[in-house]
Order: sequence, then C-alpha cells, then structure tokens
Amino acid sequence: MAVSMQEGIRVLVADDDPDIRELVEFKLAQAGYAVTAVPDGAAAWAAFESDPPALAVLDVMMPGLSGFDVLRKIRESDSPRVPVLMLSAKSRDSDVDTGFAIGAADYVIKPFSPRELLHRVNTMLARTR
Amino acid sequence: MSLPDLAVVSPAELVEPLRAVVVWLLRVTTVPVLAYFVLINTSYLVLIGLGALDFRTHLRARRTEVATLGGELTPGVSLIVPAHNEEAGIVTSVTALLSLRYPGHEVVVVDDGSTDATFERLRQAFDLVEIPREVPQDIPVRARILGLFVPRDGHTRLVVVRKENSGRSEASNTGVNAATEPLVAMIDADSILDPDALLRVAKPFADDPTRVVATGGTVRPVNGCRVIAGRVVGVDMPRRWLPRIQVVEYLRAFLVGRSGWSRFRGLILISGAFGLYRRDTFVEAGGLDPDSIGEDFELVLRMHKMLREAGVDYRVEFVPEPVSWTEVPSTLRVLRSQRRRWHRGLWETLWTYRGMVLRPRYGRVGMVALPYYWLFELAAPLLELYGILTLPVALLLGVVNVPFAVLFLALAYGYAILVTLAAMAMEEWAFHRHERWRDLGTTLLSSVLENIGYRQLTVWWRLEGWWASLRGRKQVWGVMTRTGFNEEAS
Amino acid sequence: MIAGSLLLAATDGVGLGCGALAALACLTRVGRRRRLTRRRRLLAPHRADLIAVSAGEDSEGASLRALATAPRRAQAALAENVTGMLGKVRGLPAEQLVDLLREHDALDRARADLGHRSRVRRARATQLLGLSRDSSAVEALLPALDDRSPEVRASAAYALGLIGDPRAAGPLLRATGSPGGGLPAGLAAEALLGMGVGISDALGQGLRDPDPRARTVAAHLCGAGSFTRPRPILRELLAGDPDLTVRETCAVALGRIGRTEDAEALARHTEAEHPLPLRRVCAAALGELADPTAAPTLAALLHDPDPRLAELAAAALVRFGPAGRHALDAADHRGPVRSALTLARLQGALP
Repeated sequence: MAVSMQEGIRVLVADDDPDIRELVEFKLAQAGYAVTAVPDGAAAWAAFESDPPALAVLDVMMPGLSGFDVLRKIRESDSPRVPVLMLSAKSRDSDVDTGFAIGAADYVIKPFSPRELLHRVNTMLARTR
Repeated sequence: MSLPDLAVVSPAELVEPLRAVVVWLLRVTTVPVLAYFVLINTSYLVLIGLGALDFRTHLRARRTEVATLGGELTPGVSLIVPAHNEEAGIVTSVTALLSLRYPGHEVVVVDDGSTDATFERLRQAFDLVEIPREVPQDIPVRARILGLFVPRDGHTRLVVVRKENSGRSEASNTGVNAATEPLVAMIDADSILDPDALLRVAKPFADDPTRVVATGGTVRPVNGCRVIAGRVVGVDMPRRWLPRIQVVEYLRAFLVGRSGWSRFRGLILISGAFGLYRRDTFVEAGGLDPDSIGEDFELVLRMHKMLREAGVDYRVEFVPEPVSWTEVPSTLRVLRSQRRRWHRGLWETLWTYRGMVLRPRYGRVGMVALPYYWLFELAAPLLELYGILTLPVALLLGVVNVPFAVLFLALAYGYAILVTLAAMAMEEWAFHRHERWRDLGTTLLSSVLENIGYRQLTVWWRLEGWWASLRGRKQVWGVMTRTGFNEEAS
Repeated sequence: MIAGSLLLAATDGVGLGCGALAALACLTRVGRRRRLTRRRRLLAPHRADLIAVSAGEDSEGASLRALATAPRRAQAALAENVTGMLGKVRGLPAEQLVDLLREHDALDRARADLGHRSRVRRARATQLLGLSRDSSAVEALLPALDDRSPEVRASAAYALGLIGDPRAAGPLLRATGSPGGGLPAGLAAEALLGMGVGISDALGQGLRDPDPRARTVAAHLCGAGSFTRPRPILRELLAGDPDLTVRETCAVALGRIGRTEDAEALARHTEAEHPLPLRRVCAAALGELADPTAAPTLAALLHDPDPRLAELAAAALVRFGPAGRHALDAADHRGPVRSALTLARLQGALP
C-alpha cells in the first residue's frame, strides 16, 4: 500500500518528541525514502546545511530553534525551494498563517493520520519534479 | 585633665577605655545581630519550603499536563521593546521576537531618540514606511513622538515608534500607548525569549481571564550560552567567574524568591527583563513612573495598591520555567553600577509605598511581603557590613575567641550556600537545562566563591546606592556595550 | 557556653543540609537518567511493534498480536506509551491502539484508578479514558470535574472534550467557575468546542453563572462556535455585567455572530459614557460584524478625541465596502482616518 515514486529520495525529519520522530521515520522509510531523523532545530539546520534533502518534515514546537526558525533559515539558504511540511499541535490559525507566510508548503495537524502524511509527502515531491 | 597631664597619658591607658566601649557595644548588639541572621535565614528556609511546594505542584501538573498552550482564550500580546542605540543587535532581536510562537502578537519597538543606526537598520531590514497614525495618550508621555512606521507589506505585525529621548520608562509607556493587544510585555532589546516563552507566561491569563493582571517569567543569564539566530540552543555556564556567580544568584533569586512569594500570594517583584501585564490595568495604574528608578517594581506595587484599594479580586502569577535570557555584567564596573541602581530603586520605592506597610487593607503584600523587603532586602547589607567590620575588631580585642568567630562565619555563609544548593536541587529536579556534570560542579563552586569577596562587594555597592539616594544625587544610567547576537557564541 | 554549643550545633546542621542538598542535586540527575534508561530497556523489545502499529504499517496484524501478548511487567509502561501515542495519531492506528489497551485491561484499570489515592494516577486514568474516546466513560468522568486536585479536574475537562458528548457541557461550565478552584478557562473552552452544536442551552445557563470565569467561557464559545440563540443574553451582559472582561468577551462574540439588533447594542456601547477599553472593543466588533446600520455611529466616532477609537472606526468602515468608503471620504481627513486608509492600502484592502 505504501508507494514511493523513487527509491532513496532523501527526507529530513525533525521533532523533539521521539514517538513522532520514530513513527514518521519508520513510515517514510517503509515507503522507500532515505530518512534522516533529528531531535531538534539546531541539528535539523546542521543536517540541512551539510546535505540538503529533497523534502523536510519539521515540527513547529521544538526547543531552541523552532520549526519556524529552521524554515526561515531554509528559505534564506542556497536551497530555498526545498518543500517543507510543518507538523503542528493545534489547528491554530496563526500557526498556519505564519507557516505559509514564511513559506511552508503544507501543514499537518496533530493528532495526524500517518497514511495521510505519507500521501502528502508523495504529492509534494511529485509536484517538485 | 590639664594639658600637661594629657601629654603623659600612655597609649595603653587609652586603649583600655576604648576596649571597654567596644566590648559593651558588642555585647549589646551581638544578640540582635545574631537574631537578625537567624530570622533572615529562617525566612529563606520558609521561602525554600514554599518554593518547593509550589514546585511540587508545578511538576505534578507537568507530569499530567494536557496540551493547552496557545489554545482558546489566549489573549493577544504586544511586545514592547524600548531601544536606545541598539544598532548592533536590534534586527536579530526583532526578527526573533516576530517569530515567536503565539496566536496573535505584535512587536512595538520604541526608538528612544537613538543617535546611532538603530532605526536605519530596522527600516532597511523590514522595509518600513511611515503611516500618519496618532498614538493615543492613554498614559501621558512628555516627550514628543517623531513618527510611526510599519512594514510596507502591511501584514508583518511590527510597529516602530520614534520619539525624542526621555528614558526607558517613557519609551515603555509610549509603546503601551501604541499597543493594540490586551496584554503587554516590556522586553529589553538584548533579551532573548524562548520560542514558547510567550505561550508559557500568558497561560495564567488564559486559565483565569477575569482575575490575573500580571505574570512574571524566570530570567537567566545568557552569558556563555550558545545562541543561533536569536535563540538559545545550548545552555552552558559562562567562562568567566563573575558571570558564573551571577548565574547562581539568578537561580536562587528566581527559584526560591519568586516561587515562594507567588505561592504565598505576595509576589511583588517582577523582573525588569520579563513581565506580562493586562494593558488596561497597566494604563489604569498610570504606567511606569519616569522619575522612579524602581521601574517595574514600583509599578507592580502601585498596581497592588490600586487593586486592593478598589477591593478587586486579582492575581499576580509567577511562571517558573526559564523564559527569558539576558546578558549580565561581566566587568566589575558595570556590575557595580547595576547593583547600586537596583538597591537605590528598592529603597526609593519602598519609601514611596511605606504607607502600605503593616496595613491589613493591603493584605499579604502590606502585612508580610513589604515588611520582609524592608527588613531582609533593604537592611541586609547594613547588617552584613556591621558583621564584616565588627567581627575582626571583636577578635582583635579578644571579646570573642577564634573558634566562635569561625563558627559564626561558617553559619552565616553556610546558610547562604544552603539556600543556593536548594535552588540548584530544584533546578536539577525540574528543568535540567544544564547538560554537563561539569556545569553542576562549576555552579557548586560558584556558590561557594560567591561568599568570598563577591558578596561583600555587593554589600558595599548596595550601600553606596542607598547613600547616593539619601544624599539626593542624581542617578546616572550605566551603559552596557552590546556585542549583538549572531551565529557565534556570545 | 550555651551560645557556643548552639552555634556549633547550628553550623553542623547547616553543613549537613548543604551536603544533603548537593547530594540531592546529584542524585536527582543520576536518578532521572537511570529511570529513563530503565524505562527504555523495559519498552525496547516492544518499541518496534508499537511504532509499526502507530504508523499504520501493521497490515497483517503481527505487531499488534505481539504487543497484545507482552508480559505484564511491561504492560504498565506500555500503556503509558500507548496513551501518549493516542494523543498524536488518529485513524486506524488509533483504533488499533485503543483495542490494545482494552486487551491489556488498561481501560478497566483506568476506571478503577478514577478513585485512586494518588492524584497523578487519577489524572492519567482520566486522560486515558478520554483518549480512548469511550462515550460510556462520560458518567464516570463527570465527578472528576470537581476533584480536589486541579490536575485531575483539568484532565477531566480535557477527556470530556475529546469524547465530545454534549451532556458534559453544563457540568463543565459549572465546574469552570466553581469556588473550590475551578477549571482553566481556556481548557474548558477547548473542551466545549469539541462537543458540537448540542450545547446551546448549556451555554445560555453558563452565561448566567455567578462566576465571571464561567460567563467568559460561555460568551467566548457563543462566538467561537457560532451559537446564535443566546444573543439576547450576550446583549444583556454587554450592557450590565459587573466584570469588564465578560463584557468585552460578549462584544467580541456579538461581532462574530451578531445581526442588526446586536449591531445596535454594540453601537450604543461605543458612546462616551462607557469605559474606553470597552468602546474600542465594540468599535472593532462593529467592523467584524459589518452591518450597514452601524455606519452612522462609526462615522461619528471618526471625530472622537481618542485617536485609537477613531482609527478603529475608520478601519471598520473600510470593511463596509462602498457605503463605508463614502462615509470615510465625507469625513475630514485627520490622522486616524488617513492612517486607517494608508494601512488598508498597504494590506491590499484598498486599491
């Protein structure tokens, strides 16, 4: 049931919650993606800088550099068009607005459906092709 | 005695009556001074106890916490940033503030007549354009407003107000006048907030929208921490000993002092670096007093007075999580100026509100908190100085023996270390933001070192400030050179 | 001498205290790390299965079966982990996780824990029942709204919100303003929002609650959840509630859901005799409502001495379309009007 467009596409996942991090990593890996999972914003930025992925999944609420902070840095970097999917704890209009204003490509609200997340990742990557 | 008789009096004969006087003095004052030390340290222990209870409640709440930060009924916040010659870090700071997680906040920068490129940097970074908005005078402000600017995109929630230079208090009041949200917070241009700081410190307002009028958040020194893009990403102890000792001081002051007082419902001191207020209460109380050095402390007391006199049911809450980081002085010169100013502000404010002391009408603030501050915060350096001076004298004159003196010192300073260790234990228990064992050791060592020289210095400086006020000398604000925050560790 | 030995004893006490606290700080750190490692080790063999089920990758059910047969020792820790997961995922994985809990008798144990001595146990049990979305648990959860511990009360409100049964709305509002401690207002509001459209009557009663906190929550819900039936009560509270926050909340709510008669009420409260913060909130609410009958009032406010009020009125008129634009052009272009127009142009609301 899990379909990936192409084996080995690199995806970055950042969430300080190990449950979500491992879950998303597992889901995407099962679908054939090469996943790098990090526990905070600073690590996410470091990973992005050293090797820009094809897509990033960022949790909004992380200590230190938040998901928005990392998103902003991505948009100002040399690879600004990498699509970013934000994970947020609430359907706060302000979060969604902020995210899209900075340049998030899509939003997933917790509690989320893992199947739907995968579907959105696939769609976003298909669009950038 | 005739003059020729005086000439033949030997030094030994002079010393004896002197010695008698000193012995009498010491015997008379020893008990009260000892009693004072016992009282002050017991009070610390009580505050520790209350703080620990508050902590226990807080920790229990965290273990069973339901995710409600930023939910319904979270009021909007206007972040007021008074700025004077902050060109080095103002853009990074404002960017970081704009990107805080919060459902509905704006940033109001008040350029208090800066003579450097503060405004120019902001103008360029945010593409500011002037709009003909008139700032209401909800709080009367003396200085003239020169202009109000917003970003050209029309939706970045930033407002920059330029005004003639007239000091931080007036700049803050102007910012509140220009603010459009129901809550206001004053933030130093060089303070760093955690991304979720606003959410945490606003939570009490969301929990109890009709009673909470002010909340205070914990402030920690940022010296030595790793800062990226205006965010603290790693907490390390500062490399130099002076800031290290201040880390210990802040820890103690906030965890023990604020926690304890908040639980006791007598919280009167909200740190200068981070406090969140209801705008209407702030305005009704009259805003910050530009002539007072006490600033926020003075305003909070004024609020307590106003609300108690009106018979209103209200709350002032304290949020123990670290929410704000600020640069502390790393040189003796700047530290000295700061401590003189703080104690002077304490004195002047306590004196202004002396009418509230021991009046039942003012509840716990008037009956407990204020007398406490008079006795144990204001007078403490005086008593300590007395102790520092008389103990060696008493030793010299043989009034006390060495073991007694040593024990006395050990007790007096040991208690201080005890209080600090309690704070450290609570910090470890609850927040554990310091990652390394080495940091724990450094903190321990700093808490010991604090009592060898540092503490005595602050005693002197505090008394200097107090004396300067009594002599009516005008207060001069020290200037801390900013290095600005960027990708490197500060 | 006595003073000396007292001093010695006191100093020893302090020294011991210092030692104890230093040890406590160290032990706490060690203890926490040990606890974390122990938990991780206990859960390690089941972690992969849990992740597989939570990710919805357990198509053959092998992981679910493995978890169902986990040893009793691990079940408690596992239950906690699963509860955490339930707050993060939804859909088929969530249903499977709830089934797992039922297999482990965790739901029965949670019901029993509702009366437990420890408030942490009570609170966790409450949350678990909520996350399992078990509507039969509502009866058992209602008393928890008046629990003596604030954490349990908050957890009960949260759980009832997740289950979403409107029967809980009335008790929830009453508990919000309870003199015994009450509920966090924001949490109560969130919970009520999850209960759907059947709570209108409960909101009407909540608006009459003696405690201002409950009234605030009820008023907020009317606006946030679009409940229009209690509008007359909102108007009443706007006019005469003793608490300013309640009045302001009513104004905001009327701005969102009001009709012409509500616009009149809001317009009345922009008059000079009312407190300035309330006047400003009402002016902004009139802009939100955008009922044309309010245009004359707003036009008059353009000349008010308070520049903020004038600008809010101008901004409101901008949202009125051509009629509002007309009123703005007719007014003399003082600061507030020009400011509102400039801002509207920057935002793209005007050409």
